[in-house]
Formats: sequence, structure tokens, C-alpha cells
Amino acid sequence: MSTKVAIIASNGGLFDAYKVFNIATASAATDAEVAIFFTFEGLNLIHKQAHHQLPLPAGREQIAEGFKNANIPSIPELVAMAQELGVKIIACQMTMDVMNLKKEDFIDGIEVGGAVTFLDFAKDANVSLTF
Amino acid sequence: MKADLVLDTKGMACPMPIVKAKKALDGLAPGQIMEVQSTDKGSVNDFQAWVKQTKHELLSYKEESGIYKFFVKKI
Repeated sequence: MSTKVAIIASNGGLFDAYKVFNIATASAATDAEVAIFFTFEGLNLIHKQAHHQLPLPAGREQIAEGFKNANIPSIPELVAMAQELGVKIIACQMTMDVMNLKKEDFIDGIEVGGAVTFLDFAKDANVSLTF
Repeated sequence: MKADLVLDTKGMACPMPIVKAKKALDGLAPGQIMEVQSTDKGSVNDFQAWVKQTKHELLSYKEESGIYKFFVKKI
């Protein structure tokens, strides 16, 4: 059976996005089955508009140049790659209700679910990560 | 070594060499050989771990003036 990787993304900055999607794409490219549960600020990472302009930590704005110099793919590119590799994206229904967000506000191809939807996947995961 | 496919990932940062390698290898038949070229220093360890996990075979790897070359046989 393949390795299962369960990730919770609960923060919404650019650094957070790279941590989540680098591990997710690397895992999926290594034949792992991957699911990410996006909750609270983590929803920014898959929000149609927000994921194109995620904030850098305050005072670290100069790092934007570092990303460019190191030839790092953009977050929308990494998200598309993750989806192409079969990474399952689950948006937290409860947070969406609190923030008055609809499924249409997010990128295509996501699932919306509650905590148990994620737990059902994560219960026999080999690797569990929270960002 | 003669490769059936040469994949150029020079200049790409982690995890792109692995992602590109996975996609390229998917298009090969078992027994065929892929050569991956990379300038990512992390790829030396990454490719060894990748073949271990994916059960393909790393036939050899070498470094030539800052370019790493990995020869992977699809199992």
C-alpha cells in the first residue's frame, strides 16, 4: 500500500503556502496519497484571488526577490501541479461558514468537508503534518 | 550510459526536479532509462530517497561541473 500523507494547513502567508505545497507535491511525486485540510487562514492558500497574492511576513518583504532569484515556482503553479498529481484538497466547511465563503470562491477541483472528512483520511496516514 | 529520455531540470528548485522526474518516468515503459540533469544540490539526496520510495532503480549518478546527472531505470 502506498504511503499516506495527511496535512493540515491553518496559516495563510506565502511562507506557509510553500511549506504546504512543497511537501504535498514532493510526496505526490513520490507516489504517496496526499490530502490537505485547509482551515482558518489556511483557506487563503486555495482562495481564487487570495492565493495569487499571499502576504510575506511583516518586515521580510525583500525575500520576494530571493524567491525570484532562486527560480521558485509561484503558488498558483504549485497548486496546479499538486492537483495534477492527485493531491486531495479539502476546505473546512465550518471556517467557510464563519467567513461567509462559498465553494465558488475557491479554486476548482476542491472538496468541502468537516473535520471528520479529514480524520477519515488521516486515521491511517503514515505522515501527519500541520502548518 | 545511454538513456531513453533526457530530462533537463537545470535551474529548477526543489521540489520541481522530482515532480518533473515523476511525470517523465510515467511516460516510460518498464526497463527504460531516464537521465535527469539538475543543478539543485538537494537533489543528490532527494533522488536516492525518491527511488527508494518509488521502487525504481538509480543505476548511477555523477556530478560534472555543477550539473548532477541521475540515471534512473523504471521498474
